[in-house]
Amino acid sequence: MSVTRSAGALGAARPLMRLVTMSGVPILRQLHLEERLLRRTADNWCVINDGTAPPTIVMGVSGRVSELVEIEPVLRDRVPVVRRYSGGGTVIVDQGTVFVTFICNKSAVAGLQPFPRDIMSWSGQLYDKVFDRFGEFHLRENDYAFSHHKFGGNAQSITKNRWVHHTSFLWDYDVKNMDYLKMPKRAPEYRLARNHTDFLCRMKEYMPSRSVFTDGIITALGEQFSVQPTDLETVLSNDEEFVPSTKLLSQQDLEEIVSSKGSSSLGVQEVEA
Amino acid sequence: MAAWARLASRSRLRPSASGVRGPPRSSPPVPPPPPRAGRAGPAAPPPPPPLRRLLRLPQVRSSSAPTTSSLGDRWRCLGGERRWLASEASAAVPAGEAAELVEVPLAQTGEGIAECELLRWFVAEGDQVDEFQPLCEVQSDKATIEITSRFKGKVHQIHFGPGDIVKVGETLLKMIVGDSQIVSPDNIFPSADKSLGEESVVPSSESNIHSGTLSTPAVRHLAKQYGLNIDEIVGTGKDGRVLKEDVLNYAVSKGLCREQSSSLEESTGQVELLKEAKPLPGVPLYEDKKIVLRGYQRAMVKSMSLAAKVPHFHYLEEINCDSLVQLKTAFQNVNKDNTIKHTFLPFLIKSLSMALSKYPMLNSSFLEQTNEVVLKGSHNIGIAMATTNGLVVPNIKNVQSLSILEITKELARLHEMASHNKLSTADIEGGTITLSNIGAIGGKFGSPLLNLPEVAIIALGRIQKLPRFDDDENVYPSSIINVTVGADHRVVDGAMVARFCNEWKGVVEKPELLLLHMR
Repeated sequence: MSVTRSAGALGAARPLMRLVTMSGVPILRQLHLEERLLRRTADNWCVINDGTAPPTIVMGVSGRVSELVEIEPVLRDRVPVVRRYSGGGTVIVDQGTVFVTFICNKSAVAGLQPFPRDIMSWSGQLYDKVFDRFGEFHLRENDYAFSHHKFGGNAQSITKNRWVHHTSFLWDYDVKNMDYLKMPKRAPEYRLARNHTDFLCRMKEYMPSRSVFTDGIITALGEQFSVQPTDLETVLSNDEEFVPSTKLLSQQDLEEIVSSKGSSSLGVQEVEA
Repeated sequence: MAAWARLASRSRLRPSASGVRGPPRSSPPVPPPPPRAGRAGPAAPPPPPPLRRLLRLPQVRSSSAPTTSSLGDRWRCLGGERRWLASEASAAVPAGEAAELVEVPLAQTGEGIAECELLRWFVAEGDQVDEFQPLCEVQSDKATIEITSRFKGKVHQIHFGPGDIVKVGETLLKMIVGDSQIVSPDNIFPSADKSLGEESVVPSSESNIHSGTLSTPAVRHLAKQYGLNIDEIVGTGKDGRVLKEDVLNYAVSKGLCREQSSSLEESTGQVELLKEAKPLPGVPLYEDKKIVLRGYQRAMVKSMSLAAKVPHFHYLEEINCDSLVQLKTAFQNVNKDNTIKHTFLPFLIKSLSMALSKYPMLNSSFLEQTNEVVLKGSHNIGIAMATTNGLVVPNIKNVQSLSILEITKELARLHEMASHNKLSTADIEGGTITLSNIGAIGGKFGSPLLNLPEVAIIALGRIQKLPRFDDDENVYPSSIINVTVGADHRVVDGAMVARFCNEWKGVVEKPELLLLHMR
């Protein structure tokens, strides 16, 4: 792994990036935290959540539940379904998922234009440094993959002055959990109609440990930012006014969808808090 | 891309671009003129529908009426609306300014994105908005994006609702804005700050991150298509921004494309590229192809460069495999398990381990800094494998403690993992000596390079049927395999390799010796 700490020595001071590391935090709580950091602070953040509980289905902002999720098993097994604030597709996350989120000011990365593809490309270059020695890493369309097997899915949210790029990484996954999800209507070309098992891979088969992974991210970030670990407690302020848009769908919401099949009423309107 | 050309040229052609306020002037009639500056001559084919239609509203201050007759006609058409609009305009716009009803399109969010889903509005019809104030949120693929206002003005009419799909270029809403506002095509969402251009930037070698030159993604893409460095192009737009015309003019000056003829098709970006003679149709094009080395191939660049620094010597020996062939057949005959396929390699591996027990120096590791040799306790024998992704060398751990059957199974497992690119770090790390069965593909001899930090590597050529003499000096057909041992001459000398090789060869040629020494 090349150590280019001299990047900072080129004269331009590296901007500050606060690092929050957590483990096992419920994804709903993590997403609420992210929204708060995005909308209510002016700092650059990296949030890493190693594993989450309970296993939860997370949809993008405009996902239609009936098209993406097998509602009956979900209701039967009481799997929580969350609609997050960023775009992108549907995932089911659990203890085997590692989340990495970047929340940045527009000016944080010199020369980076705040557009989806530019940010996606920047992230691909960052992660290339992390994964390159463990496998044939690619940014394929909008996914992170080893060769042609996806192990990381991305989503973004771009506001007036800031942007979020967050990833759910499949350190490991439970094949049975995939049964709660339908095959998406829109899929990346390289998926080629493969089912989950043939399309995905597990990071643990490529890398020795989760900490090697997270340490690698922090090192790569250090080339562009001055990374400052921040205590979670100091981050959780009493900002009661703020209402995040990420929502947990209630049992009632889901039951309504089942009973009114074909209705798209529970689409985007939910976003309007 | 076309949108930008039109907007870009509009801002340059507009007489008010410098921000001078004043009485109505002979402004271009609706629809706007063709985008090519300096174009004179007969009417072109009908221009594409303009993105931004300017309906001149009557001014609050009553001075000289507009002079162009066509404008006058337009006003007459507005009829009764005029009075209502006048009062609306006066409310929305500072006194002394003419007001304009502006159509705000969905701007380009990046390369190749043709449409977005509207998620929600932050404003309603009738609201006053500031420049850079968020108007709405859209989703394009993986990203939710806030669209901010280019103007200060008043929301007049909203064209789409949540859940609707909006194509890039379609009008999102209409706003009433003050005339003095400079319409720059560059204030696209998210609001591009001046700071983007002023920052001193650490130059990046990656092509996707642009160091400080102001331009839209579409213009940058165009520059990339021509293979131009956008930093070299002088921008004529606001704040020195590089516009599409700047790229095209620069390309012309570089001889990459022909001078623009006066045709509106150009605004859609279809410019002929003057490169080397175009190939005849039907003839295949043999072009250079660039491949970035990744993964295993990249690792090989590193490891082989290091290996080249070590003084190697190579020792060649011939091993008679007649007994080995018989043994393999015997194994196959007693084999009841269909999943197991017996080959020569597991026996060669086990016998190698036996020889290593006698010559541990060949199973060691050299520490340059301290001039120490670490004699490794385990025989972790690496097997070079050619996968679709490149060369990889997983190793079988603790061969000294494994049976030939166990070695056979482990070898099969590693092959399976390698072919699916699923080898774990544990599989790849910790090897103490390497075997390269290049003969499986072809070849008689090799001069293999060490797999550092090991001190020995063995290349196995293919088994050949060759005439040899037996003990009675009769010629008979014999299965012969050539073996090349590569070794680190800082640690190991020829004599040691020769003796080690004799030991190994002895066991392979007389497999019963394996039984004799087996623990």
